[in-house]
Amino acid sequence: MNAIEIRNLSKSFRGMYAVDNLNMTVPVGAIYGFIGENGSGKSTTEKLICGHLVPDGGEIKLFGKDYKDAGVRVRVGALIENAGCFPGSSVRTNLMMQAINLGLENPDEEIARVLKIVRMEDSAHIKFKSCSLGMKQRIGIAMALLGEPALLILDEPINGLDTDGMRIMREILVDITQTYGCTVLISSHILGELEKIATHYGIIRQGKMIREISAKEMESRARVFVSLKTKDASGAKSVLAKKYGDVREEDGYLRVYDVDETEEIVDYLYKNGHVVSEIEKNKIGLEEYYIEVMSSKKEER
Amino acid sequence: MEASRELKFETPTFFKRIKGMLGVDFYRLFHTPLFYIFLGIAAIIPAMLIAMTGMAGPDGTPSQPLFTNVWHAIAAEAPVYGFEGIDKYANMNMVFIFGGIMVSIFIGHDYKSGYVKQLFTTHAKKQDYMTSKSLTCAFAMACMCVAYLFGAIVAGALTQTSFSVNAGNLVCAVLGKLVMSLGWASLYTFLNIVFRRYFGISIASSFFFGTGILVIGIGAIAGNSPVLNLFLYGSSVYACLSSTIVNVLVCLAVSAAWAVIYNVLGTLVLSKCDVY
Repeated sequence: MNAIEIRNLSKSFRGMYAVDNLNMTVPVGAIYGFIGENGSGKSTTEKLICGHLVPDGGEIKLFGKDYKDAGVRVRVGALIENAGCFPGSSVRTNLMMQAINLGLENPDEEIARVLKIVRMEDSAHIKFKSCSLGMKQRIGIAMALLGEPALLILDEPINGLDTDGMRIMREILVDITQTYGCTVLISSHILGELEKIATHYGIIRQGKMIREISAKEMESRARVFVSLKTKDASGAKSVLAKKYGDVREEDGYLRVYDVDETEEIVDYLYKNGHVVSEIEKNKIGLEEYYIEVMSSKKEER
Repeated sequence: MEASRELKFETPTFFKRIKGMLGVDFYRLFHTPLFYIFLGIAAIIPAMLIAMTGMAGPDGTPSQPLFTNVWHAIAAEAPVYGFEGIDKYANMNMVFIFGGIMVSIFIGHDYKSGYVKQLFTTHAKKQDYMTSKSLTCAFAMACMCVAYLFGAIVAGALTQTSFSVNAGNLVCAVLGKLVMSLGWASLYTFLNIVFRRYFGISIASSFFFGTGILVIGIGAIAGNSPVLNLFLYGSSVYACLSSTIVNVLVCLAVSAAWAVIYNVLGTLVLSKCDVY
């Protein structure tokens, strides 16, 4: 059973498709990194799953049931755009309202539990408007965690956080998936951070899902490459292209794919009149993979 | 916590769902200043009407009091649908105008804060939202009616205005006004759902309908026709100082009917349109 299964989902605003025949599969227990450019349809998809927007067409299933099923939706927690708290009320009051909304039997215990998870036990009395951005994001997570959600939908939860804030958020997310068995759908632009926690990825472009891949699959497919710098990059590129199949120029560096012999490359270039000033072995990470997928899709167009 | 326990999905009953939503709405109502401010406003209005109109004017001579009987600040002697002077218009029905503004602010805060996202994420049935808001706001407006009543009594006692009335008729009039709160609250909730993205228009439309200007206009043209009792303002006027149990039942029926209509329409709007 999948936590989220979306088939041919579409949503348009004034004739422009924000989500266009999107298909998506999020396995139970996954941390699903949802990646895409600004305006690619990530937030719209998340809002559709949460029932905030009405789809033009398609099907959304959560844990095998229709997404409008009241029994499933009461087990969904979301942090989309902001925490959705009343600014003049305290952190505790906001959490209490959500606990009552969910009909929790022991709201005080539940509030204490989620505050502990987000490391804010001592901040319950603070008014929401007085909290820092990092605290607000964590309160949003705490709101979403009330009632032991089976599915957590987080829209850019680490945006605007400092390094320490990102680390805390990362620990929280790993903690809740490992301890509570919760499935997490998380969208983010900060691919380096996402790479540390995600078990699956979905890449969306112009409202369409262009690639879904598990972290394990990506790891097994990961290509090695050598990154190097010379004075005459274009000249060196044409020389390298004669011997090596895939050579690309990116940000002033030449990338030679599927090769990890640096000495051989240095020697080959030297013999052809190019001196290498910098050289490094690399492996394609999420960011490189994302760039590669996006650029290949652009070329297809 | 075991994953197997996590994946049990029990469909909550309507009463369980509405209990949660009502719980949070009442919690908000009692834990924010808005409700208490509007209770104060409701209490001050009759006090001002009764006390201040009897004060001395700039030349030192006492001005003519608007009401010679305290209960005229609660309801008119007989139903007057058209406009026949401020003394016939300015009574407990004004609570429904201010109540509309309160409902607009109450619902507007849901959207402004983004809290509505939490509600719609966990409540798949849009009917929950409409029903809960209508009932909570009806309760708040009924409380405002009671505050208005106390305000009138205190001001009447302080200004030594006459309290003579047929108690039975008065009770029926007040009961009639109280039950009208449900219909008015449902109308305002519906208007605020329709104009959810435009806070200013929400308040303006609530104020516009709350004044009863449409029924007053029809009343001015068509006269005091009992057909006007079919409308919220008409029934509110019908709850007058000559009311009997029949008036209360008419108010109850009209209020409940409009509450159902507006709840169905509001649920339809929320189901067919993007909610946030």
